[in-house]
Amino acid sequence: MNSRLRIISAILFKEFKDLKKNINLLVIYFLPVLFTLTFTYLVPDMPRGFAINSGLLFLVVMMGMYVPSMLIAEEKEKKTLEVLLLSPAGAADIFIGKGLLTFISILIVSFFLVLIAGLEGSTLFIIFLATALISIFSIFVGMTVGLLSPDQRSTGTIGLPIYMLLILVPQLSTMSGQRIMNVLAALMPTTYYFHIQEKAIAQALNLGDVMPEMGVIVFSIFIVFFALVLLYRKKGI
Amino acid sequence: MLIRTDNLKKKYSSKEALKGISFSIEAGEIFSLLGPNGAGKTTTIKLLTGQLKPTGGRAEIMGREVISNRQNLRPHMGVMPEETNLYERLTVRDNLEFFCRLYDSGYKRLEEYLKIVGMLAEADTPVKRLSRGMKQKVLLVRALLHDPEVLFLDEPTSGLDPASAADIHGLLEKLNEEGITILLTSHDMEEVERLSDRIAFLHNGRISALGRPKALKLNHSPGQIEVLVETSDGLVERRLDMNSPSTAEKISSWLEESRLVSIHSCEPTLAEIFVEITGSELR
Repeated sequence: MNSRLRIISAILFKEFKDLKKNINLLVIYFLPVLFTLTFTYLVPDMPRGFAINSGLLFLVVMMGMYVPSMLIAEEKEKKTLEVLLLSPAGAADIFIGKGLLTFISILIVSFFLVLIAGLEGSTLFIIFLATALISIFSIFVGMTVGLLSPDQRSTGTIGLPIYMLLILVPQLSTMSGQRIMNVLAALMPTTYYFHIQEKAIAQALNLGDVMPEMGVIVFSIFIVFFALVLLYRKKGI
Repeated sequence: MLIRTDNLKKKYSSKEALKGISFSIEAGEIFSLLGPNGAGKTTTIKLLTGQLKPTGGRAEIMGREVISNRQNLRPHMGVMPEETNLYERLTVRDNLEFFCRLYDSGYKRLEEYLKIVGMLAEADTPVKRLSRGMKQKVLLVRALLHDPEVLFLDEPTSGLDPASAADIHGLLEKLNEEGITILLTSHDMEEVERLSDRIAFLHNGRISALGRPKALKLNHSPGQIEVLVETSDGLVERRLDMNSPSTAEKISSWLEESRLVSIHSCEPTLAEIFVEITGSELR
């Protein structure tokens, strides 16, 4: 096996083993499931799709950002990063290994959320594609928060305002007519993700119907990736 | 020379941690940096392992400059840091297998080393349930899994009980017999004296003295011998000047009278030499 692949798969394997025993992170995995279950079955008067839309948004933002930021900050706090960087693993391998764990687990949990919500049909492909793309965006933001945080506690202080903006603004903007809310919403890639889901649940869609929204998400991925690289070059891991 | 430093310097924002140290270590040697906390021992290890960039001078391992070759040098180095930085939720075996995978070294030596340090029974125990001594042993095994040529040990037995420290000393001696070069830092004089081929005293970022333990002791010997003599009052211990003509006379007379019980040279301890050279205590 290629040495980079071997190192990344070793990190990924270790992260999976560790995740099974990490209560702090497992809670984050169960919250979107609980959220979607509650709104689907206990609040049946909710508008169609609200439960799955909010559940998925919560999933990609909270899990996508919280998990990598915590994983990176914990390595720094416990000083395991020092010895990892003395091994053949480089910073890029560490980022990719942790990012892959988050990405794969988001896709698995989102599959369960779709099952709970009872969604089916051709729009599922669009929902999964949008979820995959916005997850990449969230993971890069989470890694940036992890780089900025000296320890696990700081990830909350630094990350929570960002997480809240990315989760609440898309949802509140649909209820509020305030201009400021609309401007804020236009700046959040999660708003476009939320729109894709709304459209996909309301009607059968082709990929072409959501290309502008997908484009904004892809553009956001590049922006946050460059920010992450710049920060890494300036600050290191 | 396997390791060489030339006028190596490191300055943090306001503090000069290393003020230009030069030494070299031969292959197969155990070399110790002895000094109090804050002397620059850990900084030296971090510079030699490429974790820090020097602000001046040069560090070489296997003839290659460390910073520009650190990626290539990593497989040749094993590092045991002072902190017990293991993955606490994972078991001992999971921790070690992870590093075997990173180095692509296979698991062949894992069981062997765990057995040597007496940790085989704890292999499937989560690290968070281990004592500090056990964690230190796991750290040492982790540093050895990929068969490094050079081993850097930062305070390897700090805070350990005597039995655990003895286990680690035993393993280090065995490794050294196999030809591994070891650089260790410590402020434990007994450990350093027992293990080291050569010692450098590090004080305030400078090397104050460097040499073989025996040579350092002889160079700083007070030139006295200690004798135990039988007298009418029982056994009496006396110190005599080695260079005085009367010493030989006294000894021969005690020998003739069969009153000399023991005789040995007075050697200072490494701690006493350190105080003599630097004016500071080792702590």
